[in-house]
Amino acid sequence: MNRNSNTYIVVYATAMVVIVALALSFASLALRDRQQANIENEMKRAILRSIGIEAQGGMAAVDALYARYIVGSFAVDARGEVVEGANAFELLANLRAVYALPPDERELPVFVSRDGQGVERYIIPLWGSGLWGPIWGYLALESDWKTVSGAVFYHQGETPGLGAEIAESWFGDRFAGKTIFRDGQFVSVSVEKRRGTEPPGPHSVDAITGGTITAFAVGRMIRESLQGYLPFIQLQKENE
Amino acid sequence: MNREREPIFSAKNMRLLLGPLNRDNPVAVQILGICSVLAVTAKLRPAFVMAVSVVAVAALASLIMSALRKTIPSRIRIIVQLVVIAFLVIIVDQILKAYVYEVSKQLSVFVGLIITNCIIMGRVEAFALGNKPWPSLLDGLGNGLGYGVILIVVGFFRELLGAGELWGRQVIPDSFYEAGYMNNGLMLLPPMALIIVGVIIWIQRSFNKDVVDK
Amino acid sequence: MENIFNIFIKSIFVDNMVFAYFFGMCSYIAVSKSVKTAMGLGVTVTFVMVTTVSLNWLLTRYLLNPGALAWMGGEFAAVDLSFLSFIVFIAVMASFVQIAEMAVEKFSPALYNSLGIFLPLIAVHCAIMGGSLFMQERAYENIGEAATFAFGSGIGWWLAIIMMAAIREKLKYSNIPRPLRGAGITFIITGLAGMAFMSFLGIQM
Repeated sequence: MNRNSNTYIVVYATAMVVIVALALSFASLALRDRQQANIENEMKRAILRSIGIEAQGGMAAVDALYARYIVGSFAVDARGEVVEGANAFELLANLRAVYALPPDERELPVFVSRDGQGVERYIIPLWGSGLWGPIWGYLALESDWKTVSGAVFYHQGETPGLGAEIAESWFGDRFAGKTIFRDGQFVSVSVEKRRGTEPPGPHSVDAITGGTITAFAVGRMIRESLQGYLPFIQLQKENE
Repeated sequence: MNREREPIFSAKNMRLLLGPLNRDNPVAVQILGICSVLAVTAKLRPAFVMAVSVVAVAALASLIMSALRKTIPSRIRIIVQLVVIAFLVIIVDQILKAYVYEVSKQLSVFVGLIITNCIIMGRVEAFALGNKPWPSLLDGLGNGLGYGVILIVVGFFRELLGAGELWGRQVIPDSFYEAGYMNNGLMLLPPMALIIVGVIIWIQRSFNKDVVDK
Repeated sequence: MENIFNIFIKSIFVDNMVFAYFFGMCSYIAVSKSVKTAMGLGVTVTFVMVTTVSLNWLLTRYLLNPGALAWMGGEFAAVDLSFLSFIVFIAVMASFVQIAEMAVEKFSPALYNSLGIFLPLIAVHCAIMGGSLFMQERAYENIGEAATFAFGSGIGWWLAIIMMAAIREKLKYSNIPRPLRGAGITFIITGLAGMAFMSFLGIQM
C-alpha cells in the first residue's frame, strides 16, 4: 500500500488519535482518585499546620491526625448564617473560584479543631494576591473568635529569599496571640514596617526585611478574607 | 532481537548504550536537550525523578517509533513523533502526580517540557526511524542515561554545596558549621546550574580532545 | 492595569526565560553566533509565543480546564480534559510554527536560509511550550494578562539571545582554554549574565 497516499495518511492519523485518546482517558481515569487524594492530603496537612501540628510521614499519618483533631467543618454566607448542606472541603479546593464571586454570593468554609484538652479552635482559609501571584493560607482563631492561635501562609511565585519567606513557619508564628478586635471593633492584624525597638502591639506584626510588599499583602489578605466572615463572627460573639 | 544473527549485548549494541554516557554525551558533546530541565536540579531528589522520567520517555519513544517506522507516512512523520512523545509524557506526568505528589509539585511544568526536549526528538529522528527496535531501545536508553547522569551530577553538587544536604538529609556535620563553614546559597539559584554544566563540559573535553571546538 | 505592567516587567527581567528557567537553550546556544541571525530568531520566537500562548489560553479556558465545557450544556460541566493539555499545546505550537515558517520564507528568504533547521525546530522550542505551561499553571485571569506574559517572555528571550550573540562575536578574539571553547564558555557566560539578572529580583513597583 502506498504510504504517502492521502487516504492512508488520513486513516493513519485518525487511528493514531483514537488510540492515543482512549489510552490517555483510561490512564487518567485510573489514576484520578489517587491524584485527588494527594491534593486533599496536602490541604489537610496545611490545615493541621495552622493549629501547630506538623504532620510527619505519609498520607495515612496525615489522615489519622486530621481525623483526630479536625472535628467538623461548615460554610457561612454573607448574612452570617451557616449554609445547609455545603461541603467545606469542596469549597476549599476551589477557593480561587469562591473568591472570584461577588462578596454577597460567597459561601466561605470554616474548619473546627479540638485538641487533647478539649479546646476548640476555628480555622479560616485565606485567599489573596501577593506581589507576583496568588498567596493563600489558614488562620486559626481561639474559641473567643478574636484571638489568633496560629497562621500559615503559602504562595505561588514570590521572590525567593525575600517575599517567599512568608511561607516559613517563623513568619506565621508572629501572628500567634494577636487579636483581630479592639474594643469590639474589627481591626484585623496588620503587617507593619516600624522603626525603633518597641515590640509590635496586639494588632500588628513586623514585616519581612526586603519582602515588605508580599508581607503587606499578607496583612491585606487577612483583613479582606476575614471581612467575609465578620457577619458570622459578630453573631457568635452576640450569642455568648 | 535475533540471537543467531547478533547477540543482544554485542559490542555494537553496548556502544549504543554506553557511548552517550561519555564520548557522545548528549548534553556535554552534542549540546542537545539542555532546555529547561536544569531548573529542577537544585535538589538531588527532583533531579533524580526527572532523570528517570527522561530515560523512560526516551527509551519508550525510540522503541515505539522504531516499531512503527515502516508504517509511518513520511509527510506526517513529525506530527506522529510529537503525538507519541506527548502521549508518553502525559502518562509519566499522571503517574508522578499519583505516586510521588510532593516531587511532582517541585517539578511543576518541567515534566511537560520533556516533550520539547531535543534529545528525544533528535534520537527518534536520527536513529530510531532507521533502525530495528532493539538497537533503538538501547540508543534511547543510552541517551536518556547520558542526560540523566548530567542532571544527577549537577543536582548532587548544588544540593551538597548549597544546602549541605543530600536527598534532603544533612550530610555536612555540625562541627563544620561550628568551625565557620557556610552553605553557599548561590548554588541553589539558577545561574549556578549553567556554570556547573560549563565546568562539566570543560572537564569532559579535557579528557576527550577530539571533540574540542576549533 | 498595574497588574499587566507587573506581569510584563516580571516576565522580561525577573522570570527571564533563559536565565531563570533555561528555556530554549538548544537554539540559544546554537544560533547565538551572530547578532543578525539571533535578531531574526528572537522576533520569530516572540511572534509564535504571543500567538500560541493566547490561543492556548482560550483552549485552556473553554476546553481543557475542569468544568470548562459548561458552555456546551450542563451535561458537559463535569468533564475534565486537563490531561490532554500537553498534546493540545504542542499541536497548536506546531501549526503556528508552520505558519511562521511560510511567512519568513516569503518575506525574508535570507533570514530563512540563515536560520536553517532551527526554524522548524521552534515547534519543539522549550520557551514556547514553557510559556504555555506557565500560563496554565499560573491561571491568568484574562487573555490580556496571558498575552502580556507571552510578549514579555518573548522579549526577554530575544534580549538574552542578542546579548549572547554580541558577546560571542567579541569572544572570537579572546584566548580561551581549548576545551572550554564553544559550548563550555557559552554556558559560563550565560550563568554570569544570569547572576547579573538576579539583581532584578528585588525590584518593587
